[in-house]
Parts: sequence; C-alpha cells; structure tokens
Amino acid sequence: MNIDEVVSGLILELRRGTLILLVLNQLQEPKYGYNLVKELQEHGIPIEANTLYPLMRRLETQGLLASEWDTAEAKPRKYYKITQDGEQVLQKVKENWKTFSANVNQLLEPEVE
Amino acid sequence: MKSDLTERYIYAVTKKLPYKTREDVARELRTLIDDMLKERCGDMMPTDKDVKVVLTELGTPTELYEQYAGDGKRCLIGPNYYNTYLFVLKLVLICETVGLTVAAIVSAVVNGQDFIWYQAIMQWVGMLFSGAISAFGFVTALFAFFEYKEISLDTNSSFDDLPPVPKKEETISKGESIFGIAISVIFLVVFLICPEIFMCGVVDGKMVPIFSTQVIRNTWYILFVFSALGITGEVVKLLDGKYTKRVMLTTVITDVLSAICAVWWLSNKNIINPEFASRVGALFEGDSAFLANMFANFQYFFMGVILFALLLDCVVTFVKWMKYSVEK
Repeated sequence: MNIDEVVSGLILELRRGTLILLVLNQLQEPKYGYNLVKELQEHGIPIEANTLYPLMRRLETQGLLASEWDTAEAKPRKYYKITQDGEQVLQKVKENWKTFSANVNQLLEPEVE
Repeated sequence: MKSDLTERYIYAVTKKLPYKTREDVARELRTLIDDMLKERCGDMMPTDKDVKVVLTELGTPTELYEQYAGDGKRCLIGPNYYNTYLFVLKLVLICETVGLTVAAIVSAVVNGQDFIWYQAIMQWVGMLFSGAISAFGFVTALFAFFEYKEISLDTNSSFDDLPPVPKKEETISKGESIFGIAISVIFLVVFLICPEIFMCGVVDGKMVPIFSTQVIRNTWYILFVFSALGITGEVVKLLDGKYTKRVMLTTVITDVLSAICAVWWLSNKNIINPEFASRVGALFEGDSAFLANMFANFQYFFMGVILFALLLDCVVTFVKWMKYSVEK
C-alpha cells in the first residue's frame, strides 16, 4: 500500500467540503478569485487557483454566489459575492460544522477534556 | 512571446467548454494569469520561462478543463442503463454472428457448384464486420436516446414513491425479451443475406425459393426498420421488467409502426418468387381450392399472419397493463 497516496486522497476528500464552506464565508464581501486565493493562503488554507476558479463558477450556477464584472480598472475582474440563498446555506452549514468538528475533535483527542 | 503562449493555453482550456461560458472563462483566466505573473515578476517584464512556471502551476490545459467541466453529465450512456446496454449489445452481436454464419452456410449449400470457398469466407468476414458496425450503431443510438430522455427521472423520489415489488405473473421474464431480440436480429440477417433459406419442396424434387431474393435485398431498409422496432420494444420490456405504462405505450406504438412496415413491404407483388406462386399453386389445383388460393396469394397470407401476431401482442400487453398496473 502506498501510504502517502492514501493520505493525500483522504485529505483531499476532507478538504473538498470545507473549502466550499470557507469560500461562502469569505465572500460575504465581494472579491475576485485571485484575491480570495491569497486571502485563504494567508490564513493557512492552501488552495490553488485552478481549484477555486471552477469551484466559484459551480457555486454560481447553483445560485449560492453571484458575480459581476468590474471593467473600470485596467484589468477586467470578475467579482463574486454570496447570494441570499447562499447566506442561508452558509449559516446552516456553519452551525453543523461547529458541532461536527467539536465532536470529531473530542473523539480524536479524548484527553483534552 | 508571452501573450501568444498564454492565449494558446487559454484557448486549449476553453475550446471544449460550453459555448456560453467560453468567453467568460477566457476573460477571467487572462486576468488571473496576468495577476500571477505580476506577483512573480513584480514590475519586471515576465520572460517565457515565467509564463511557463505560472501555467504549470495552473496545470495542463486538460486538467484545468476537467476542473471547469466538473462531474456533470458527460456520458452517452450512464450507469442506469450501462449494464442493460452491454447485455443487449452482446446479445445482438451474438445473434448477428450466428445468423450470418448460418446464412453464409446455407447460401454456400444452395449455390452448390458456383461455390468458391475463399470468396465465400471473404464475404462472410465482410458481412460480419459491417453487420457488427450497424448493430453496434443501432443499439448505442437506442440507449443514448433512453439516457437522454430519462435524465431527470430519479430526482425527488421518496420512499412512498417506490413501486411495489411485482408479483411473479406481473413481471416480464428476461428470457422472453432475449428471445424477442434474438428473433428480430436473426430474421433481419436471414432475410437480407439468404432469403433462399425459405424453400419449398416441389414434386419433381427441385427446391423453389418462396421469395424473390433481389426484391427483398432492394427493400432492406423496411426490414431494418421492422427489426429495429421489434428490438426497441423488447429493450423497453427488459429495462422495466414489468407491464408499466411505458412498456404498454412502446409496445403499441412499435407494433403499429411494424404493421405499417409489414403492409408496405408485402403489398409489393414482386416480393414472392413468381415461380413459387405458379408451381405451388398448380400443385394443389385439383385437390383444394383453398390451399391453391393460399399459395397463389402467399404474400397476403404472410401479411395476415404478421398482422395477427402484432395485434395479439398489442392486446396481450394492453390487457396485462390494465390488470397489473392500472388498478391501483
């Protein structure tokens, strides 16, 4: 068995859902893609542009994000922001995440009571 | 050239995306690559190498395209139908091979002295090949159509919507459908390759074919449609496994269309070998006016049999559907 491969596969799966949660959370203010990549990286959440850009587009199709082109500056930028539906989803998922991660942590490290 | 490489990269990523989003994605990627280059080089002019590093970071065009395309519907025949598709495909190919082989042997025997073995083998291989391609094409197109029509069937199903477990007599046995498909394929192959197989012994020991080979070959498309309709009906039965509304409707529609094909095909006077009609007719002249008449108008007799079988199939399916599916 290739341990490293299994580990990276599992980590990828763990990250997938949480990334959506984080993207929704950070887009309560309008941001463009690269801006968000940098912001997440600064907080110790490594994410590649090639993951985030398609992800934001998918969330937009789902109606969780809305986008707008800003062509006023030299480079045209597409700004994304959470929608009202997205807000609702975010609040619910956030609650869920809090209890879930707390329970997981408790199981993983029972001595830290 | 920096911009050239970037543009080529963007083009490679977006060319296969849906038309509507293509330009939008390209525009976004252009700014992104520019931003990444800015970060890497600051105010310096980015070199070719810098561009390559940045693009490598984004992944190969195919990888990035896969990300954009996501895991949406990108298949011709999905998991819902795949197993049945493979099953029917194998069945049709096997029947086609068996049918063609039998047909080839029969033609070889019938043709007797004109038979040249290497020519016959070449012909057989050629027929197997073209037959396999048309069979593959037809079955695939049929299932692709089902897949296309059925995309949103599984959404929103609750436990209450689950259909009841069918009783034994409500189900359509797999064997019945397999038999139906096999018959359709073999019918088509035999009629197209060697209608001579339908022979009729005549007093003086000479065999006379019932059908005119040439006329049958010239009307191959009707036979093809006829078989295709039969297979379509059986596949729907195979998929549903019981007398659903869909099975009933498909059966009625394919039977009606088959009946039209049969009438169209058999209204052609020339389809029966004239020699057969006259000789066999003459054979019974004295004994029985009925038999003589039947053989003289053999095609109408044949048409009658087909129409009766189709009607019977329609009625049986309809009645079973009423009995097993409608009452609830």
